[in-house]
Amino acid sequence: MMNKKTSIAAAIAVALLASVPLFGSDVVVQFGIDALSMATLAQAWNLMGGFTGYPSFGNSVFYGLGAYGTAIAMTKFGMPFGVGLAAGVAAATSCAALVGLPILRLRGPYFAIATLGVNGAMAEIVSNLRIAGADVGLVLPLTRNDASFYELSLALLVFCTGCVAWAATSRFGMGLVAIREDEAAASTMGVNATLYKVAAFVLAAAFTAVAGGIHAYWSTFIDPASAFDSTLNVRMVIMCVFGGPGTVFGPVVGSFILSAIYEVLAAQISTAAALLFGVVIVVAVIFMPKGLADLVQQAPGVGWRYFVRNIRENGI
Amino acid sequence: MVLPQILLNGVLLGGLYGLMALGMALVWGVLNIVNLSHGALIMLGGYAVYFLFTVTGLDPFAALPVAMAAMFAFGYLLQRRLLNLVVRSALLNTLLITFGLDVVLTYLAQLAFTADFRTINPTYSGANFAVAGLTVPVVRLAAFGIAIALAATLWFVLARSPLGRAIRATSQNLTAARLYGVDPGSLYAVTFGIGAALAGAAGGLYGMVSNLTPYIGAELTAKSFVIAIIGGLSNPFNVILGGVFVGVAESLAALYLGPTFTNVVGFGLLVGILVVRPSPSIRAA
Repeated sequence: MMNKKTSIAAAIAVALLASVPLFGSDVVVQFGIDALSMATLAQAWNLMGGFTGYPSFGNSVFYGLGAYGTAIAMTKFGMPFGVGLAAGVAAATSCAALVGLPILRLRGPYFAIATLGVNGAMAEIVSNLRIAGADVGLVLPLTRNDASFYELSLALLVFCTGCVAWAATSRFGMGLVAIREDEAAASTMGVNATLYKVAAFVLAAAFTAVAGGIHAYWSTFIDPASAFDSTLNVRMVIMCVFGGPGTVFGPVVGSFILSAIYEVLAAQISTAAALLFGVVIVVAVIFMPKGLADLVQQAPGVGWRYFVRNIRENGI
Repeated sequence: MVLPQILLNGVLLGGLYGLMALGMALVWGVLNIVNLSHGALIMLGGYAVYFLFTVTGLDPFAALPVAMAAMFAFGYLLQRRLLNLVVRSALLNTLLITFGLDVVLTYLAQLAFTADFRTINPTYSGANFAVAGLTVPVVRLAAFGIAIALAATLWFVLARSPLGRAIRATSQNLTAARLYGVDPGSLYAVTFGIGAALAGAAGGLYGMVSNLTPYIGAELTAKSFVIAIIGGLSNPFNVILGGVFVGVAESLAALYLGPTFTNVVGFGLLVGILVVRPSPSIRAA
């Protein structure tokens, strides 16, 4: 998957991205932090939704737990940011393992809705916890250093994408793909499906939690509604599926493009931005149901017939 | 008398919930599309009845069939011109396109109708009568009756009419239905149209018992989804029962746990049911 050319291109892209705070304005850097963390979330979702074929709508639980773990450790126990992140990751991964064991037995829409239920329940639990500030929320220590938050988000995205790239070619990733294609057959061939699925869930939870923790510290305020926001989870899914689920770079490129489109739309025509965003999604699903990654690979050979073929294959 | 009154309220509200889920369950069972824009269709139906009532002065219950006809036409065209292009795509893609539709419909409604709260308020909206010490609100009782009537009609159409046979055949085996002369493109459009019409009726009734805003769609979609799974996709009456179950559970939760918990109860029930009984009999209408 990762040949020499793509590695070099990826390295150049990372170097370019890393230099953005040197010349970019504050607005650009702040947009970058959001875009990078969104890309990380899409990439983490890709592990479950793209590779393993389990469409999770509960990744926002891990985001929220990461945010709250960080916030509680920093505000209630006076811990440094790093320890807070570790606490958030510990909370999210243990939740992923505990919840994953029962609900990863469900498939397709049943899994999706069960994870959505977990998200709602978790938001409710946290908003009744005294230590988490109940439904008022928590205020974190103020810091104003956008450049370092930017570099931290970039580092997280690079690490997460590196893990996915490794998984794509490893025995672990092959096992996940085998589970996606036919779980019974994969088990028969000696893949420990339960172990693989829970491991992927836990890994996705860890990355999502770190992104949540970084965002909590950066925005300096969290409450249950914003930390356990299921529309955030829908955005992860859209970004990943738009780019190409089950590919290494698809989710990253897809979420950069969609974040940019949304930002431009919101700046130009604020009222109709969400409307046009919806139109983009509808059109994208009709014309490129396998995502950008497939479009880039296939379309140069066959041209516009690529779109006709997609409609013929999926339509009636 | 608090508990019996709460139970009655839950049952009456639950009938309306069941009607909301009816169209979603039909479309899901036949087309295998989990329609995330279903709540937005409910919202549009609500506005249709609202404007028929406020602009033309039509009684809201008389406006319901008009709104249902309009929503049928809208749903038919939506499926025929748009969703038929992707109907055989992977589940995730149909989830996404209907989510995109939900966003489009929500914000079109916001542009057209503004974000103001609106309620369909006929003169008798506050009327109620007492039976055995219980207060029965007239509008909610009528909504419950209409939900049952529509479920019965749907059951009759599916079980007894040639159209229903074609729908059931297509949901069981697309290829075989085609061989027997069913045109799946138009049949899917008709089915989606029926689903949209049911959503329209639910929306009109919802507008009489609660507030309409362009943003109610997402919550109603989630509720319909939960009820469709609890009730199963095979029998309209089971869907209504599923709605009553959720309505009663929510009312009891509001009474004993506090009103902030009502929305979680439905999901909590669902996760519990799914985990205990992971593969309910669900396909086929």
